[in-house]
Amino acid sequence: MSRQTARPTDSRKVSAELFTLTYGALVSQLLKDYENDDDVNKQLEKIGYNIGIRAIEDFLARSNVTRCNDFRETADVISKIAFKMFLGISPAVTNWSPAGDEFSLLIENNPLTDFVELPEGHNKLNYSCVLCGALKGALEMVQLEVDVKIVQDQLKGDNVTELRVKFIKRLEDAIPAGED
Amino acid sequence: MAVCVAVIAKDNYPLYIRTIAVDNELKFHYTVHTSLDVVEEKISSVAKNTADLRELYLGLLYPTEDYKVYGYVTNTKVKFVIVVESSNTVLRDNEIRSMFRKLHNAYVDMFCNPFYNHGDVISSRSFGEVVNGMMVQD
Repeated sequence: MSRQTARPTDSRKVSAELFTLTYGALVSQLLKDYENDDDVNKQLEKIGYNIGIRAIEDFLARSNVTRCNDFRETADVISKIAFKMFLGISPAVTNWSPAGDEFSLLIENNPLTDFVELPEGHNKLNYSCVLCGALKGALEMVQLEVDVKIVQDQLKGDNVTELRVKFIKRLEDAIPAGED
Repeated sequence: MAVCVAVIAKDNYPLYIRTIAVDNELKFHYTVHTSLDVVEEKISSVAKNTADLRELYLGLLYPTEDYKVYGYVTNTKVKFVIVVESSNTVLRDNEIRSMFRKLHNAYVDMFCNPFYNHGDVISSRSFGEVVNGMMVQD
């Protein structure tokens, strides 16, 4: 699905506000349909997963990155190239666990949550859950099983939105990755 | 600095009213309610005369002995009303205009919240903070 030859410049850019409003409309409609915060979170994650498994192809085609040698490289590629390409932001990679298998992505100005204020009584709603699903789906397609959770959320009063990514296992060891 | 700020919907019911802490808050509610007539008059008179760009800022609607009432209407017929004290002569027209502009911006930002439904009473925290910033501090 390489679009490198079809479009020399990305002439179909959509206004960021339109994107934010579209996502907002999606979440508010889901909330009306399901009414239960946990169900909405699950649906958002599924939606994110479906986006992720497709977005990874686009990403690999457009960015020409090579196979990462370790998880740290993966984290850097996610933050500096992937997020930049799709959302135009560069979250910070921090809080590495001592074993090197968990890290945090800190997002300061999340384009999905411009203008959004969570309504009363919906405190468990993870508005940016779609990002968790997308990361999980995308990494699964490159043979990495991860678990992604939101630990801090700007909509709930924290200063940053923090996504915690935990490496679970490699899905197939068919191609050894350099030095193992 | 305003003494009362009100946002009124297209169908003339209040979306948001905030007054300073005073025993007789209803007085402000009445003032805003009666100012709606003046707003309607101004909108209809301008609409008959000009077909082109209408000024959103309506200016001084009417002065009472204690207060001056200013109005502003958006293109979607949402009205903002600000009441200031007559004794406050420092406030110039430009400042009132800029207050309305800030209000309008805050209203638009609040409206973009996907959880806000058109016609709901306004309960947004950030909108409340903007309004607080322009009320008389006691």
